[in-house]
Parts: sequence; C-alpha cells; structure tokens
Amino acid sequence: MQIIEEIKKNELISNPSEIQKICLDKLKLNPLPNIKSEYWRLSNKSKFSSFLDHSNKNKESKVNFPYRKASQNIIRLIIGEKNPINFEEENYSIRKLKEIELVEYIKKNISNFNQNDHWSDLLNHCLSSKENILGLNISGNKIPPLEIFSASSPDSFNAKTLILFFEKNSKVDLLQINLGNKNSSLSQSTYFCLEENTSVNHSVVSCGESKSNLLNSLNVIQKAKSEYSLGSLHFKFNYARFEIRINQLDGHAKTNIKGIQITKNNDQIATYTKMQFNGPNGFLDQINKSLADDKSHAVFEGSIIVPKIAQKTDASQLSRNLLLSRHAKIDTKPQLEIIADDVKCKHGATISQLNEEELFYMRSRGLTLAEASKLQLSSYIQEIISTIPISQDRWNLLDSILKEN
Amino acid sequence: MVSENLVKDVVSEPYKYGFVTDIETEKISKGLNEDTIRLISEKKEEPQYLLNFRLNAFRKWQKMNEPNWADLGYKKIDYQDIIYYSAPKQKEKISSLDEVDPKLLETFDKLGIPLTEQKKLTNVAVDAVFDSVSIATTFRKELAEHGVIFCSISEAVKDHSDLIEKYLGSVVPANDNYFAALNSAVFSDGSFVYIPKGVKCPMDLSSYFRINSGDSGQFERTLIIAEESSSVSYLEGCTAPMFDTNTLHAAVVELIALDDASIKYSTVQNWYAGNEEGVGGIFNFVTKRGKCIGKRSKISWSQVETGSAITWKYPSCILLGEESVGEFYSVALTNNLQQADTGTKMIHIGPRTKSTIVSKGISAGNSINSYRGLVKMGSKAFGSKNYSQCDSMLIGDQAAANTFPYIQSQQPNSEVEHEASTCKISEDQLFYLQSRGIDFEEAVSMMVSGFCRDVFNQLPMEFAAEADKLLALKLEGSVG
Repeated sequence: MQIIEEIKKNELISNPSEIQKICLDKLKLNPLPNIKSEYWRLSNKSKFSSFLDHSNKNKESKVNFPYRKASQNIIRLIIGEKNPINFEEENYSIRKLKEIELVEYIKKNISNFNQNDHWSDLLNHCLSSKENILGLNISGNKIPPLEIFSASSPDSFNAKTLILFFEKNSKVDLLQINLGNKNSSLSQSTYFCLEENTSVNHSVVSCGESKSNLLNSLNVIQKAKSEYSLGSLHFKFNYARFEIRINQLDGHAKTNIKGIQITKNNDQIATYTKMQFNGPNGFLDQINKSLADDKSHAVFEGSIIVPKIAQKTDASQLSRNLLLSRHAKIDTKPQLEIIADDVKCKHGATISQLNEEELFYMRSRGLTLAEASKLQLSSYIQEIISTIPISQDRWNLLDSILKEN
Repeated sequence: MVSENLVKDVVSEPYKYGFVTDIETEKISKGLNEDTIRLISEKKEEPQYLLNFRLNAFRKWQKMNEPNWADLGYKKIDYQDIIYYSAPKQKEKISSLDEVDPKLLETFDKLGIPLTEQKKLTNVAVDAVFDSVSIATTFRKELAEHGVIFCSISEAVKDHSDLIEKYLGSVVPANDNYFAALNSAVFSDGSFVYIPKGVKCPMDLSSYFRINSGDSGQFERTLIIAEESSSVSYLEGCTAPMFDTNTLHAAVVELIALDDASIKYSTVQNWYAGNEEGVGGIFNFVTKRGKCIGKRSKISWSQVETGSAITWKYPSCILLGEESVGEFYSVALTNNLQQADTGTKMIHIGPRTKSTIVSKGISAGNSINSYRGLVKMGSKAFGSKNYSQCDSMLIGDQAAANTFPYIQSQQPNSEVEHEASTCKISEDQLFYLQSRGIDFEEAVSMMVSGFCRDVFNQLPMEFAAEADKLLALKLEGSVG
C-alpha cells in the first residue's frame, strides 16, 4: 500500500495545500479505515490494497472519450483539464467557483468528517490537487445537458473532486462519467448542494478496464422542495466502491435512486447508501440491482435513517440481486433506523437467478437458451439504465454490458 | 386525534411477578475465577470431562471481548460482582414433590406454574428452575414410559453422561461468543430432553426459569435431542423479581434434530424489565441455536419477548440435512427504556433447505427495538429457499425501530426474499373501532394482536392466550 506508507512518512505530497494538510494530519495517525467496522468489513482486503498500490506522481494522460459528443449544445467538462467555463446566457448561468469559496466549503465539510465513514473523501482531499478540483455554481433553467468526465491515467492513482452548487429554481440534467484506465485507481469525490426548488437529474456511469479500481463518493445535500434523481451504473472494475450519502436537510424533498452494479471475473463492486431525513415529509424511492457472475462479489448496503423530526416520511428501498454463477457471491443489507412514528417505510431484498419459467416460455417460442437469457438480462438491466441519458447510437451501454456477459 | 392524557390516565398494570420469595439460599461468594468454577463443578459432583469443558470455556472467555456491535447501550457489567451459584437450601435428594420446600411450591403457584400433581389436567410436564438449580420436574414417570428423558441438566450429567458428553457444546461451542463462553464456564442448571427414535412426545414439555436473588446471575443451559422421526414441543417461560439492580441472564440453548425429527421451541419471556426510568431489570444475553443434522428435520422457534431491560438474542438454525426446515416466529415488544436487539440466523448448508422468518417488533415509550437477522446460502445449498418478513410498529414518537437484515448468497440456485415495513397504529382504524363502541384500550390491543397474529398462530394454545394478554398489559398506558 504505497500511498498509505507515504502518508505515514509524510512523503505523499511535497507541497501540500491547506486542505491537503488538514486531511493528511487527520489520516496520519490512522491512515486506514477500520476494516472490522460494518462499513468496511466486506471490502476485499487484497483488492483494497491494490487500489492503494499505484503512484500518484505520474503525469496525467488525456481522456479517451468512449463516445463522441452528440451536438454542440452539450456542455462537456473534464475534471483536471482546462475548461473554458463561464456561461452567462439569458436563462441560465454557470460560473466557476473561486478558489476561496472551494477551500471554505471543503474545510467546513471536513470538520464534520469521521475518519471511518468519510475515509474516501479524506483520502480524496489529500491527493486531489487544485487543478483536479472542479467547482461550479449553476443557476437558471433551460440549461443544456452537462457532461462531466473524470478519468484515471494508466498505472497511476488519480484523485478528482467535483463540487456543484445548484441555485434556487434551477433545473439541471447532468451526466457524470468515471473512466478507469488499465492498472489504475481513481478516487472521485462529488458534492452537490441543492437549494430550494431545484431539480437535478444526475446520472453516473463508471466504466473500468482490466485491473482498474474506483472509489466513488457522492455527497448530496437537499434543501426543501428540491428533487434529486440518480441513475447509476458501475461495471468492469477490479475493485469499485460507490458511497452515496444523501441528506434531506429540511425535509419536504424528493429523492429517487436507481442503481446497478455488474460484476464479472474476480471483481468486487460495492454500493453503500446512507439516506438521512432531517425534516418532515421526505420521500425516497430507491432500487439497487446487482448482477454477479463468475467468481465476483457484489455488495449492497443501504441505510435509511428517520429521526423523530422526520414525520410523514415515505421511504422505500429495494435490493434485487441476480446470482449467475456458483462461485459468485452477493451480500445485501438494506436497513431501516426509525424513530418517527408517523412514517411509511419499507424495504425488500431478493437474491435469485434468472427466472426459469420465463426462460422456458421463451425457449418454447423458439429462442435459444442464450438468446432467452440475454433477453431476460437486458430487461433486468434496462430498468435502471433507461434512466441514463445517453442515446443508444452514441454509446450503447446495454450492448457493451451484454457482450461481456 | 387521540388525547394523550386519556391514555396516560389508564393505570398501567404493575409487573405481576415482581415479588421476592424469602427462602434460605446457599450462595457462593461473588467473583469469577478458576476456583469458582471448580467449586460449582464440585458442588454438582460433576465428572472430570465437564470440569475440563468449563475450564476450557473460561480460559477462552478471558481472552474474548464483550461484543459491541449490537445497537444497545448499557453500563459495563462487572463480572466480578456477580454470584455465580445460588440455590435454595433443601434436603439432599428429592424423591417426590412433597419434599420440596412449600415456599418454593407456593412461589411457582403464584406464578401460575402447575408443579403440583393435582394440576395434571393441563398435561404439560414442567421443569422448574429456581436461581441456579432445578427444583422439580413433573410427569417423569409418564414420560419415562415412552422413553422420553426430561430432567435437569445436573441429573442428566449423572444419569445420562454419555449423551451429555456427546452433545453438550456440539451446537454452541464453548468459544462461540462472549456470553456463550461465560455460560459454558459457569452454567448451573437447566433442562435436558431426549426423545428416542420414533417417539412423538405425548405431552408438551416446559421449563420455567425464576431468578430470585438480586445479585446472582442466571446461567442455565438447555439441551434437547430429538432422535430419528421423533417430535417434541417445548415451552419456556421466565420471570424475575423487581430489583433496582441489573441481573445478568446468560443462557445457552442447544437443539439437535436428527433425520425426520422435529422440535418446536416456544418462549414467553417476561423478565422484569426495569421501571419507567430504566432502573433495574434483567440483562438477557442468550445464545439459542438449533442444528438440523438429519434429512427432513425441522426446528421451529417461536418467541414472545416482553421482558428484560436489555435483550440480545438470536435463536438460529443451522440447516445441514437435506430438505431440513428452519422457522422463526417472533414478537418483540419494548416499552419505556427497554432495548432489544434480536433476530435470527438461518444458515443454509444442505441442499433444498427451507427457512421462514416472521418477526414483529413493537416499540413504545423510549425504547429501542432492533431486528438483526442473517440469512446465508452456502455454496451447496442448492434449491434452498428463504422468506423473511419483518414488520415494526411504532407507538409514540420517542421509540425507535431498526431493521438490519444481512443477506448473503453463494448459490445461484437458491432464493432469498426479504421484506420489511414500518407502521403505526392507524388513526382511521382506531376511530372505526371506537365508533363501534369498543373502548380505546381494547381497540389498541385488538390492533396489536392483529399485527402479531402470524406469530401467535404458531404458539401452543396455552401460550397464545397468555401472550395476547401479556402484550395488552404491557402496552397499557403507552399509546398516545
């Protein structure tokens, strides 16, 4: 674990910024999360250490886009590269956050971070240099779709940070793409602040290559009357961990989460979500799917926390898992922690394989077993990825997933 | 909206079983070390292998840490401040019930336990455990005619040593967990049941645990063995007096079911739960586990938990045999400052095994009620199925209900389904019942009992009625 050794020896970064210093100090004594804690115990230890085994000192390479830009209308930004930003249009504005704003914001966040629960973010801030922090303030509506790319370079460890403030009444469609390169590790931390009355439609596609690792942390704060929808897809990673923390600050907000993780070979992909309701009348609809094949391991852990103040919360969480091979493994743990009494909360979890009756039906209609399985799988995946706004002719996600399977 | 005052006006029923029996007891001094264990073993005239078992467990226990993963908060237990052996003084050997101290009989009478033979009509054989020892077991002769052995563990150690040596610790090993290790080191008494091949036990068996002294812990051990094609239904009840100190209860229950055997284990737990400020009450740290070794064997746990200040209990099934079945039906009610972290483990190892979990949690007052369950499908559990359902009901806005299901599967050809929901007593339904002339308390109790019906249906007759009444009593004055 090269990076950890360097943190201990104080050799990680030669000229650390203020934030990097704070985070390095926090991690110095205890540079690793407690692997016995509930939050980390299922992480595969050797994979986790391979995640930390790349150097952060290599020069970054250019991003290879997996698909072409559809039209001039789309705003495409790449974290870590020079982006010409500052759009002042009639209906909307996108402004780059000043460095001092970013520093203040991150500092405020870090002060509340717990070493174990926010380890991913602390590590990210240690390593993420000024150039790799992208901060935007977005307001208005009729904003063209945004695409934000974050990528690791081959044989290295890269940390990227994205901070977005959504002003009142804004309405945004955002596609975030995390690309893993060969033998690389990417640490991506994302912070969203949704002011009142905002509506954000967020999609995350994380796609790796052989031996690439990803630590993806997403922190969302929602104010009243905001609506946040997330569609996510993670696949082709040796080790990936997606942490989602959503906080409905004053209640009266809506959250929709749809996610899928697909594991093959010897991969491990884990999703951890923590949904905190801090006010009344909150709403959550969440579905998380996993597909585990070969010798892979898929993990889902979702907690819903409803304190006394969050009366009339309506939350549902569903974890659906398909286990396709005898050597694959699935762990799922949906959990509810409820104190408010006037709430509707439910969760469900299933682990099964492809539906035999449906397969039989399709085969009796002349489809081969392979075709029938594929059809069933595609409907299973489609439910989630249909929410991700990439048109088929640009990047056919479904096809590229099915080809693998 | 229901007026809160109206509810609070209803006098809450005091804990009925909180009295202390004034009886001379023989206690050993407080504290735990190897000598204490040797002393307990000596008092019970145990063979060497059992002493070794105890000492081995004790040495392991010393190296272990108290588990802290459960969602429970309690002040640290001083294990040196507990009396590990306490027994009512009486004559050496009891040949008939007439020789039992009348005070003891009176105690059990007060608790409604049919120890005296006149109460034969109830047709339940009872083993009564008072603090550390078993004082009486009824219906022995009748059971012996069928070859059924039902006696206290201490007697079994003397009379059926081979069975004890073979099975004790085979389901819950001495070093299984902190509290099981402690129990293995100092267990005092408990019940032993052996059902021979092909026998359907002619009557329900029951043990009744009573903690009497305030400073002694209770560490009983129950072992039930059901041979091929046999079946038994076992009931367990417990009460304790009201003390303002906390008493530790760390029991171990082991069930073994061979081919085609079936064991039904029902518990109504009504320990003293502490007062409204959370002072006193039993700390209940229990390890209950059943092993379905044989093909088509079945173990079914049903429990109604209303008592104890802290409950830490996960009755589990290890489904080894082909087509074996595990069941868990539970109602856990917490009120005032009670805390419960309870649930089950279903470990599917053998092919085509099935398990069902139905858990109903009711939390009222300032209590915390957590369901924590594990369903594991091993790689050889081909064609296995699990269905879990966990419902929580919250009464009042200070209580907490948590659900932590752990699900793990390594077998594609298996199915796991879990669902959970949280609700409260519906105002509409209450209004409807009240408008039909049913008073408020009764309406609430009807709704609670409806909520728990799936579980009550699984309880033996006499228990089901008792459980229903118990819940109604416990809930009195807590609905707002």
